[in-house]
Amino acid sequence: MAFYENVFIARQEISAAQVDGLADQFTAVLSENGGAVKKKEYWGLKSLAFRIKKNRKGHYVLLNIDAPPAAVHELERQMRINEDILRFLTVRVDELEEGPSAMLQARGREDRPRRFDDRPRRYEDRGHRAESVQPATTEE
Amino acid sequence: MPIVVSTGRSGTRRPFFRRRKSCPFSGPHAPKIDYKDLRLLQRFVSERGKMVPSRITAVSTKKQRALAQAVKRARFLALLPYVVK
Repeated sequence: MAFYENVFIARQEISAAQVDGLADQFTAVLSENGGAVKKKEYWGLKSLAFRIKKNRKGHYVLLNIDAPPAAVHELERQMRINEDILRFLTVRVDELEEGPSAMLQARGREDRPRRFDDRPRRYEDRGHRAESVQPATTEE
Repeated sequence: MPIVVSTGRSGTRRPFFRRRKSCPFSGPHAPKIDYKDLRLLQRFVSERGKMVPSRITAVSTKKQRALAQAVKRARFLALLPYVVK
């Protein structure tokens, strides 16, 4: 059996519980064909970078799959038929990752935003002079 | 693999010589290129949504190919835009 990652985007109108039902449905499809879902992640209702079938948002679900190719083929066929699925991507991977994916890790860090670069900013970089810098409102 | 850096620390002769940066995806603590890691991918995409050339980001050729693949996957999943207007 081979390892796959499957991400699918469901329509924004359906509820989170229905998304869960969809995921269960696809899990059943896989197990009927001799596969298994090793991990399921619900990324939530995320806004799309562009419109897909007139939708601006979508429910993202990641499935980490250990299944024979035929099962994945059947899964993709089912996803193509299902009208609640806006888009899906299946990628074959050498090994399935343990723990939460980068997407969920980023979610946890969102309340504590970090800068992308390590470029020194003006005031912080000045160090000893930073305290003596007056707020802009007091200047002319 | 260490990248040979002909460091111009005696940079008085060539004032515009920039030290060659090494690839951000090489080395022991290098991040894994993953289409799900938006925070990572966004650093290598311009404001317009285009990929930043490796001559600017110093990503190695092999990793740039992997990065391009990851960006394309992220775009397909509408995680990244194809173009920002």
